[in-house]
Amino acid sequence: MSGKIFEAKDVIIKFNLRGQILTAVRGASIDLYEGETLAIVGESGCGKSVFTKSFIGMLDKNGRVESGSIKMNGTELSGYKTEEEWLTVRGKKIAMVFQDPMTSLNPVKTVGEQIREVISWHFGTDKEQAKKEAIELLRQVGIHDPEKRYGQYPHQFSGGMRQRVVIATAIACRPEILICDEPTTALDVTVQAQILDLIKNLQKDLNMSVIYITHDLGVVANVADRVAVMYAGQIVEYGLANEIFKDAKHPYTKALLLSLPQLGIKGQDLHSIKGSPPNLYKEIKGDAFAPRNPDAMKIDYMYEPPFFKVSDTHYAKTWLLSEKAAEYRRELETSTDDEKAEPAAAMDFSNAKKLVSVKNLTVNFKLGREEFSAVKDVSFDIHEGETFSLVGESGSGKTTVGRAILKMCHSSAGEIFFDGEQVNRKLSRDHLRRFRKSAQMIFQDPMASLNERAKVEYIISEGLYNFHMFSGENERRDIVANAMRSVGLLPEYVTRFPHEFSGGQRQRIGIARTLVVEPKFIVADEPISALDVSIRAQVINLLNKLKRENAFTYLFIAHDLSVVRFISDRIAVMYKGRIVELAETEELFAHPLHPYTKALLAAAPVPDPDIERHKKLVVYDPQQHDYSQDKPFWAEVVPGHFIWGNENELEVYRKNY
Amino acid sequence: MKELTMNINSLPDELFTRAEFIEEKVEDTGFSNYSYWRSTIRTFFKSPAVKVAVTLMVLLVTYTIIYPTITDLDPYTPSLSPSQWNLSPSAEHPFGTDGVGRDIWARVWFGTRTSLILSVAVAVFEVGLGVIIGALWGFYRKLDNIMFAIYNTLTNVPSTIYLVLIAYIMKPSIITIIIALVATGWISEARWFRTRILAQREADYNIASVALMTPTRRIISRNVIPHLVSLIIMDAALTIPYSIGSEVFLSYIGVGLPADLCTLGNLVNQGRSAFLVYPFQMIFPTLILCFITVSFYIIGNKFADASDPKNHL
Repeated sequence: MSGKIFEAKDVIIKFNLRGQILTAVRGASIDLYEGETLAIVGESGCGKSVFTKSFIGMLDKNGRVESGSIKMNGTELSGYKTEEEWLTVRGKKIAMVFQDPMTSLNPVKTVGEQIREVISWHFGTDKEQAKKEAIELLRQVGIHDPEKRYGQYPHQFSGGMRQRVVIATAIACRPEILICDEPTTALDVTVQAQILDLIKNLQKDLNMSVIYITHDLGVVANVADRVAVMYAGQIVEYGLANEIFKDAKHPYTKALLLSLPQLGIKGQDLHSIKGSPPNLYKEIKGDAFAPRNPDAMKIDYMYEPPFFKVSDTHYAKTWLLSEKAAEYRRELETSTDDEKAEPAAAMDFSNAKKLVSVKNLTVNFKLGREEFSAVKDVSFDIHEGETFSLVGESGSGKTTVGRAILKMCHSSAGEIFFDGEQVNRKLSRDHLRRFRKSAQMIFQDPMASLNERAKVEYIISEGLYNFHMFSGENERRDIVANAMRSVGLLPEYVTRFPHEFSGGQRQRIGIARTLVVEPKFIVADEPISALDVSIRAQVINLLNKLKRENAFTYLFIAHDLSVVRFISDRIAVMYKGRIVELAETEELFAHPLHPYTKALLAAAPVPDPDIERHKKLVVYDPQQHDYSQDKPFWAEVVPGHFIWGNENELEVYRKNY
Repeated sequence: MKELTMNINSLPDELFTRAEFIEEKVEDTGFSNYSYWRSTIRTFFKSPAVKVAVTLMVLLVTYTIIYPTITDLDPYTPSLSPSQWNLSPSAEHPFGTDGVGRDIWARVWFGTRTSLILSVAVAVFEVGLGVIIGALWGFYRKLDNIMFAIYNTLTNVPSTIYLVLIAYIMKPSIITIIIALVATGWISEARWFRTRILAQREADYNIASVALMTPTRRIISRNVIPHLVSLIIMDAALTIPYSIGSEVFLSYIGVGLPADLCTLGNLVNQGRSAFLVYPFQMIFPTLILCFITVSFYIIGNKFADASDPKNHL
C-alpha cells in the first residue's frame, strides 16, 4: 500500500424529500490508497451508495453535499458544480459499476458500439481503432469470441455476461478508482464468484483502487483489504479486513457478524439485532445504534462518540473504547463468556408421516409458440415437522415447484399429494378450502406482498374472514393481537398501513397473516433474501420459533446454500428444472457429490477473510456430463442421499464418497 | 465533530454504565410517516398551473350552483320588445342579449350548469361501468374472446354513427345524451382498466389473497380497485371535457338536447347563426367552454403525474 489517492472528509449529504430534509450521510470520512480494495458495508438506507455517488457528482437532483471535502490526488472536487467539471473525473478517473447490468446498458445498441462510444468520446480515437480496443476490452473481461459478441445486443447476453460488459465500459478509460455498487447482488452465487474474481484480476492488471459497496459480509471477506462499516449515515468502524472480522469493536459490527446464519448453531436461536435502522428524517442524538443495542450505556443516548483508536489501522466510533468504560467493558466480557452450545443432533424424519409428496412433477410453460419445461420430473417427500429446502439459482424452477404444490400454478405431469390426498387436480370446494387453510405461503419481497391500501388489521384478518375462524368481533381482534405479539410487533400497530413499516416488520406482518389460519405446511419462498443482514436473523428466529410452537412443516426455497444449512433438515439442489442432488443437510455439506452442488458450495461466500482469500473458484459446466448413450437417472448413492447421474458417474461418486 | 473537542475525562463516570433497554421502543425506529395520499396531494398542488386551474374551477362551479338563486333574470323568456334584441355587452347584460332578447350571461351560466351535470354524470357512469367490466374482464380469462369481439366491433364503427343513431331513436333529453355517450365510451375504459388490472393481478399481495381463499369479488374490491383509485380519478377528470365536447358536437349537428334547453352546445350552435353580425353571441359561450375543457385537462394530467409515487419528491 502506497500513497493516498482519494480522501473524503466529514461529508454531509442532505436530500429534500417530500418537503422534509433527510440527512443521508452525517459526516462520513474515508481514505483510499493506491491499489487497495476498500469495502463499505452497511444496510440499505445507511447512505453507502449516496456517499460514493457524491464522489463523482451523481447525486439525484434533490440532494446536495452540504459540507465536507472530497479530494482526489490533492484536487478538491466538492466545489464542482457543472457537468463539464465533473466529466473530467467521472469515467476518466473514477468509474462506477452498478447493481443491475440491464439498466446500465442501452438495449437498442450493440454492446460493442456502447464500449466503442465511450472510448471515442473520451479520447477522440477514430472508429476503427476504438473498435479494436473495444474488442480487446471484451476479451479482457472474459467474454469468449469477442469479435462475434461485439455485434450483439444486451438481451443476447446472460446476467453475468452483461455485468462483464458493464465492467468493460467502466474500465475503458483506465480509471484510477473503480467504484462497484453491489455489483453482484442481482447475480447468481456461482456467477457472483466469477465476477468478483474478474474484478480482482483487472485490479491487479490495471493497478486500480477499488471501492466495493455491499451488504454482504461474505463478499467483503472475499475482496476487501480494508473495511469501513457504515450505519445511519456514518462510518462507525474501519480497519483491515482481518481486524474487522476477527476483532470487531463497535457493537453494531459485532452484532452484524454474530447474526449471520452461516455461523448459527442448529437448534439455537441466532443472535439477532432487534428493531430496524433509524429513520434519517429525525435528528439522531448520541450513538445511532444505541436504541437497538441491549448493552448500550447511558452516554450512548446523550453524546455522539468520537473515533477511538484500536490499532494504527483500526478505529471504531463507540464509547465502549474510552477509558472511562473500561469497567463496563470487563463486565460485558465476563457476561458474554458463555459456553459454546452443541448443535442439536439431526432429527430423523424418515418414520414421520409424509405430509407432502411430489411424484414426477413436470411443469411446462408456453413462451410464444415454444414450450419449455420449468420443472422436469421432480420427486420428493416432505415429512411432518421437517424443514425441507430447495436450493437453486434463478430460473432453476424452485419457485415454480413451490407454487405448483400450493396450486398457484398448473402442473403438466406428475402427482402432488398433500396429507395423503392428491391435490393437483380439480378439488371440490370443500376440499380446496381444507387444503388452502392448511398450506400457506411466505413471500420474498415484503414490499410487494402486502396490500398497500389496507390496514394491517384487515391484512391479518383476511384468512380469518375467509375461513370463518371467529365467532365475534372481539374474538377476531384478540386473534389478530395475539398474532401481532407472536411476531414481535405491538398489537396497537394494527391500525397502521403497511408502508409505515420497515422491510423486516412487513415481512413479519406477512408471517402473521399466514399464521392466523393455523396452517400445517408453509412454503417460504426466499423469505430472507430481500431483507437486510441485521433483519434476517430476526425472521429466521421467528420462523424457527413458530415451527417449534406450532409444529409447522416448511418448504424453504433459497438460492444460497450457506443460509439454509442453519435451518434445514434436508436439502435438495435444483439445476435447470431438475433436482440433481438430495440429502440430509450435514450429509450434503460433508459429501457433496454432484459437480453442481460442489460449485454452489464453493461459490457461497464465507464471512471469514482467511477462508475466502484462499478459495478456489469451481465453475460448473453442464457439458461435462456425457449423457448421449448412458442415460442418467435418479439413484440413491447411500441411504437418504440421492443424485441424478448415469451409471458411469454413479460409480465414480460411490468410489469418491 | 463537536464532541471531539469536549474533554472525555470531564464526563461523569455514571454515564458509562448500562442504560435501560426498552424492547418496544426498538421497533419504533423503523417507522416512516410516508402517506401515499398526502404525498399525492402535495405533489399535485405544487404545480402553479394546478393551483390556478383548481381555484378557478372551484369558483366557476360554485358560481354556477348559486347563480340561479341570486339572479332574477330568466334565461328562457324571450323579450317582445325588439329594442332588447341582439344587444352588445353592457353593464346590464355583460355578454349582451341574443336574437330574441334573452340575456346571454344568464344563459351561459345556466348552460354551464346543465353541461357540467351532464358531463359529470357521463364520467361517473362511463368510468364506473369501465372499472367494473374491466375488472371482470381482467380476472376472468374466459371473457377474453367475447369482450374482444365486442371491443373490436364497437371501436371499428365510428362512434359518431351510433351516437347520432341513439340520439335519433330516443327522445332528445339529457338522459338520452348520457346513455348515448356512455354507450360509446365504456368499452375503451373497460379495455384500459383491464390492462391495468392484469398488471396488478399477478402481484404477490394478490397471490397471497388467493392462497388465503379470498373470494375474487373481494380481491377486486379490496386489493385491486383501491390501488387504481388515483387512475380512476384521473380518468374521470379527463372524461368530463370530452363529454362536454361531445354534447356540443351533438347539439351542433342538431341531434343533441332540445333546442330550447340551455346548454353550452345549444348556445354555441345558436350563436353560430348570428356569428358574422354579432360575434360575441358565439365567442362568450365558446370561451367558457374552452376554459372548462382546458382546466379539466390540466387537472387530470397533473393528477396523473402526482399519483405516480416516482414523482413524490
